[in-house]
Amino acid sequence: MRRALLAGTLVALLLPAGAAAHATLSEASPQEQSRLETPPTEIRLRYDQSVTATPDSIVVLAADGRRVSGVVTQQAGGTVVRAPLRGLVKGEAYTVRWHEISADGHVGNGVYTFGVGVPAPSPTEAVGASGVTWRDDVARWALFVSLSLLIGVVGVRLLILPGVVDPRVERRVHLLGTLGAVAAVNAGIVGFVIRCANALQVSGVDLLYSDLSPFAESTRFGIAFLLTTLGYGACMTILVVAWALDRPALRWPAFLLALVLASGYSLSSHQATEPNASLLGEVADWVHLVTAMLWVGGVLTLAIVVWPLAPALRRAAFLRFSRIAILLVGVLVVAGTVVAIQRLPALSDLWQTSYGRTLLVKIGLALVALSWGGMHHLVVRPRLERGDAVRGVGGTLLAETTVAMVVLLAAAVLVNGAPPPVVTPARAAVPVAAP
Amino acid sequence: MLPRAEIAHWLFAAGFLFFGLVLLAEAIVGPDVFRRRRWRAYLWPSLALTAGIWLWVIAIFSTFSTLHLFAHALWAQAATAAGAVQLAVVRGRLVSAYWSLVTAGALFVSGAAFLVHEQNGWLFNRSAFLHHLLGWTLVASMLFPLGAALLPRRAIWAFGFAVTWIAVAAMLFADRDIAPIFGHLSDLAGGGPR
Repeated sequence: MRRALLAGTLVALLLPAGAAAHATLSEASPQEQSRLETPPTEIRLRYDQSVTATPDSIVVLAADGRRVSGVVTQQAGGTVVRAPLRGLVKGEAYTVRWHEISADGHVGNGVYTFGVGVPAPSPTEAVGASGVTWRDDVARWALFVSLSLLIGVVGVRLLILPGVVDPRVERRVHLLGTLGAVAAVNAGIVGFVIRCANALQVSGVDLLYSDLSPFAESTRFGIAFLLTTLGYGACMTILVVAWALDRPALRWPAFLLALVLASGYSLSSHQATEPNASLLGEVADWVHLVTAMLWVGGVLTLAIVVWPLAPALRRAAFLRFSRIAILLVGVLVVAGTVVAIQRLPALSDLWQTSYGRTLLVKIGLALVALSWGGMHHLVVRPRLERGDAVRGVGGTLLAETTVAMVVLLAAAVLVNGAPPPVVTPARAAVPVAAP
Repeated sequence: MLPRAEIAHWLFAAGFLFFGLVLLAEAIVGPDVFRRRRWRAYLWPSLALTAGIWLWVIAIFSTFSTLHLFAHALWAQAATAAGAVQLAVVRGRLVSAYWSLVTAGALFVSGAAFLVHEQNGWLFNRSAFLHHLLGWTLVASMLFPLGAALLPRRAIWAFGFAVTWIAVAAMLFADRDIAPIFGHLSDLAGGGPR
């Protein structure tokens, strides 16, 4: 029996699978996202393994979609794929789409841009790239919900429920906060990959073998992705250590780190990339995001942590959160207004552009949620202050949480949308070409 | 910007070798003797959590392929989960032997990620061979924490778990990108040994 097992194991270990390979791009000329001063006459891509080239292994496109690359040839034992370039002119940017068939049949692929006499545009603006889809919105929404757990629930525990609380409350806060960190890092990864896929124009298995490095290394959202992935990974570790060692105070560094990381979205969003971007807009966007997460997380904490698990804590928790909620909502509205004014300079943009209409929907939903919160503040709070028994609050808190989640979905659609173009003095001065 | 794969592999190999030797020392002398100095009990969870952090660093360097990004993110989370649970066990927050099933799950997920993300055949080159070997070693090694959950008194599980990490370290030290394995290098692998 032993010999049979040993023989079986050895056979399993030594069974040769078919020679297969998945190659990766190790060098490109022109380089990814580079600016050249003179038009190149050839494009060369070097892979770490030999690949099978097809007529479309290198396609270089001008901004108008015109193909400027010629017949693809291979060199150096199939590790170098090259194609001649024709008709490139100074002052234009070009998109390179590459594909290679690896020995295992998988199609490795990538996209990048370069400019001749002009800076290379972002790879998300490559020729043929599609805009955002519902998948981007769902990923962004998942990220917001995750942050409401990480920043909101942990923040509320630290800010309005300091000191020792019911062990069941502590366990659930640990669980929700850690879940928030895990979900934030994974939602971030999925969102990043989806955004890259829009530009790569691939899906399924082909997407698994796509080169994402031009997006990660040369775009603001890519750099923000790298930093937030690392940061939320650290948050996750800190939170599990806080749980394992039963040191709630260790949640402070995770909370503060999450607050800082949230600025990554503001520094890579429209507030930072539009022509009229300003520090004020970026700060306002960050404050808007953080206060929203604290508010949603606070309501969530009351609804699914305090109310079902700690009846003795309900009154104190509700009253403390009620006081802080006024401040949060005030700051939230002011910061949101600053952001909206920057993105929509003309009032008519609110109803004349899709971005403005999405913002109106979001404001409408937010008003429903805030009205609900107002009802809690004006009706429930005074009764709790008097020490009256108030029934059904758990249900209304859950309902407010649900509306808040829908607001986050509207916010996700909004941040993924394209605001109307802003006319800056520099842009206005550019003469319009005759048709 | 991208460090060579071997650099990361060798760094992790050094860490895993230390980890394996610590576990082996504990398996030889027994937990009662090994943990007379309290801090020693924290070595295993601390190293797993540290590995988790470093794997996040590697993950963000792995955007050259979506699959590598996913695989490293998965390893990071598996290491963090196993380290956190072990830390809670050492601390006394968790007492059931069944919590070692989390370690078993983390090993299975890690091994599966190795096998899925290496698309080359066993004999394609040394790196491919080692990826297969690492994947199957990790998948098979889940038997040790599984055994520790079901039959906690047997020392064999601790020995097996320790030796697994020493073996993993040896494999990672042997890893080079396109070096041949058993004198054979696939024509598809491009350049020769370095």
